[in-house]
Amino acid sequence: MTAPTRRSLLAGAAALPLLPRAAIAQRRGGRLTVAADSEPPNLNPAIIASNGVFFVASKVIEPLAEAAYTGKDGLAPRLATAWEGAPDGRSMAFTLRQGVTWHDGRPFTSADVAFSALEVWKKHGNLGRAVFRNLEAVETPDAHTAIFRFAEPTPAQLIRNALPALTAVVPKHLYEGTDIMRNPANQKLVGTGPFRFAEWRPGEYTRLVRNPTYWQQDRPHLNEIVYRVLPDRAAAGNALEAEEIQLAAFSAVPLADLDRIAKVPGIKVYSNGYEGLTYQLVVEINHRRKELSDVRVRRAIAHAIDRDFVVRAIFRGYATTSQGPVPKYDRTFHAPDVAGYGFNPQRANALLDEAGHPRGADGIRFRLRLLPAPFFNETRQFGDYLRQALAAIGIEATIVSNDTPAHLRAVYTDRAFDITVASPVYRGDPAISTTILFQSGLPAGVPFANQYGYENAEVDTIIRQAAATIDDAERVRLYRALQKQVTDDVALVNVAEFSFITVARDNVLNVSNNPRWAVSNWSDVGFAG
Amino acid sequence: MTSKQDSSFSEEKEAKRLFPLDAAPPGARSEKFFGSFFQKRTSFLFRLLATGEGLAGLALLSALVAIALAAPFLAPGDPLAIKGDPLLRPWQNMAHPLGTDRLGRDVLSALIHGARTTLLVAVSAAAAALGIGITIGTIAGFLGGWVDEVLMRIAEAFQTVPAFLLTLALISVTGPRVPTIVLGIAIGAWMQPARITRAEILSLRERDFVAAARVIGMRPLEIAFREVLPNALTPVVSLAAVIVAAAVLIEAALSFLGFGDPNRVTWGSMIAEGRTVLRRAPFLSIIPGIGLVMTVLAVHLTGQGVAKALRTRRHMA
Repeated sequence: MTAPTRRSLLAGAAALPLLPRAAIAQRRGGRLTVAADSEPPNLNPAIIASNGVFFVASKVIEPLAEAAYTGKDGLAPRLATAWEGAPDGRSMAFTLRQGVTWHDGRPFTSADVAFSALEVWKKHGNLGRAVFRNLEAVETPDAHTAIFRFAEPTPAQLIRNALPALTAVVPKHLYEGTDIMRNPANQKLVGTGPFRFAEWRPGEYTRLVRNPTYWQQDRPHLNEIVYRVLPDRAAAGNALEAEEIQLAAFSAVPLADLDRIAKVPGIKVYSNGYEGLTYQLVVEINHRRKELSDVRVRRAIAHAIDRDFVVRAIFRGYATTSQGPVPKYDRTFHAPDVAGYGFNPQRANALLDEAGHPRGADGIRFRLRLLPAPFFNETRQFGDYLRQALAAIGIEATIVSNDTPAHLRAVYTDRAFDITVASPVYRGDPAISTTILFQSGLPAGVPFANQYGYENAEVDTIIRQAAATIDDAERVRLYRALQKQVTDDVALVNVAEFSFITVARDNVLNVSNNPRWAVSNWSDVGFAG
Repeated sequence: MTSKQDSSFSEEKEAKRLFPLDAAPPGARSEKFFGSFFQKRTSFLFRLLATGEGLAGLALLSALVAIALAAPFLAPGDPLAIKGDPLLRPWQNMAHPLGTDRLGRDVLSALIHGARTTLLVAVSAAAAALGIGITIGTIAGFLGGWVDEVLMRIAEAFQTVPAFLLTLALISVTGPRVPTIVLGIAIGAWMQPARITRAEILSLRERDFVAAARVIGMRPLEIAFREVLPNALTPVVSLAAVIVAAAVLIEAALSFLGFGDPNRVTWGSMIAEGRTVLRRAPFLSIIPGIGLVMTVLAVHLTGQGVAKALRTRRHMA
């Protein structure tokens, strides 16, 4: 990165007003209406770690700690006030906050944490299952201490990195002895957070109201948060201009519209606040397909993609190019020495010739089925781009477009694809969200995981070793070796890392002030008085 | 075999003898009908062009068809290829006279190739809808009885569901490819031609030439399709224009919703793509939109011209 990108400029511009903003009077009360594009039927963040769920649920149900720009381990305390891992990696002790009550009036105690950890995170959490696999017991010597005991040494660094996303605490008294997956509280949430769940009107809105007994004095500032369902992306920008909504997170306003909307008086664009939720644009390659099992072919595909063009044209500059599976913002784990594959169609053509796939009379070497994930406009557009990029090196890709359930089934259960465009999320530690992309032997049907048949015994060994390593520096070394190995093998092709843009009216205060802002509790958000 | 033909031949003679004035011999009427279209084509064409709608519609439609047919010569290469900088405005760079889209694909070549897909899908869908509709309508009308009841109840069942939803449901199950899109549109549009054909057939089947055909020993379906149907076609054919126009719009709407064939350019998908940048680059949606308006207008005008020309023929007859 030689010249400053628009994104870094905007990030800087957004950071500057943070200083004088503390001086602006913050009014108490008010209703914040935000754009929502999906309504997950199960809103329990302890079961489903997904941004669509967190967006609403994080205001109601709190984790033990939240991500922060500053502070020890990049964390800010929430339900836990302190945590300490034992040197042998066999236990971790949490000191819990006192004087916290559930929204139904019952006191919050260590029993709730023990129950959530053992019965919910470990058994039902989509990501928690892996991280808390070795959690054996949770001791509760008193009402405000919880000691996690692990059967195998478990790195404290991993648990710390998992705190913001995977440790939402749910009330034991509502879940104990019930079918957890079908508990009505998964929809009508009960938590300890600054807002209480008020009502959900499918297709219209979800409404949260102020929790008057929140543990933090004088918080939250807002009286209400209303998530208005606006599935049409063009609608969000217009609704903001018309002041029907005050905030649109998760790039609800299309990137292509940002240049224009940024100039509208009274509207501010924030390109930070999503560092903890970095998405990665990747090309997944089905290694079972004969042509694609040859590393030269996979390298050719990696060389065929002009990453700068993708960032410029598809992401309008609001993304960074990427060569490896750990995003650059994670300075701890990102391996800067992975060279990767530059845009070089000549080299790609040479590699394909070498691999024994000459162009036929029609200029085509072989044909592939390309399944772009329908999750984002950008993944679909990149699918269109990839088809053209592959055509330039003599590979004819036929796009097969599916809706989300059909896409998930085709790719992650039936494995009926040759290449697909995917957008995995990086969640702060390679052990949470990265190793699952490369380890072999996963059963069919686990979404966003290695279903493309990549198998490398060395990689599996590194993953196993790293999982059992409790020394921070050694973990970093192993995960950097992993990045180098999978990039050499082109297990998948990393193209770009992107996050989101928040657009808000300028009288909304304390927007984007932590790395997971859109999915944090918003207790300090309010209107300028 | 030969003896049967002989006998039917003699029966035909017999029919002529029996109905010398009242009924034209079987086959004659259908020849007359087709004759007005094909043998005396020049005069029908003349009448069509004499109506203002026919002239304008046919001119516009021929231009569109010519563009669609000549697409590979007018805009050689893959219309989806990335050719230049993204989001060039029209007239900004004469290499891309109508500008480029978000990925730098040439809008003009997409427009030209889009005409091809749009017309292909619309015409095939209309042909399929007419084919299904006419067949079912003829069978129902001619055979009557329980066959008629069953077929018409089926048609009504289809009619209770909005055509677009029916098409959408079919395509979301089978996956968006051109043949399934054509079939999907046809399945949502066959009922009207079926009902009209049936009504026409009902009014024709008691005529004397049908009785004559029966007398000479033609099988019922043979009579239905060879003798009765050609006389019932006129109103159905004028329906074709309405169906083509509807098919153009349904195809565009499907592509707009992301149910088009992603490997082909269609005007609907161009509008859908352009929608995300509607405020910044409205031309991306407006240009294919104009294409759609032109096509639907051309088809409608031609249809009206045809209907008018047929009316004058009837008056003259």
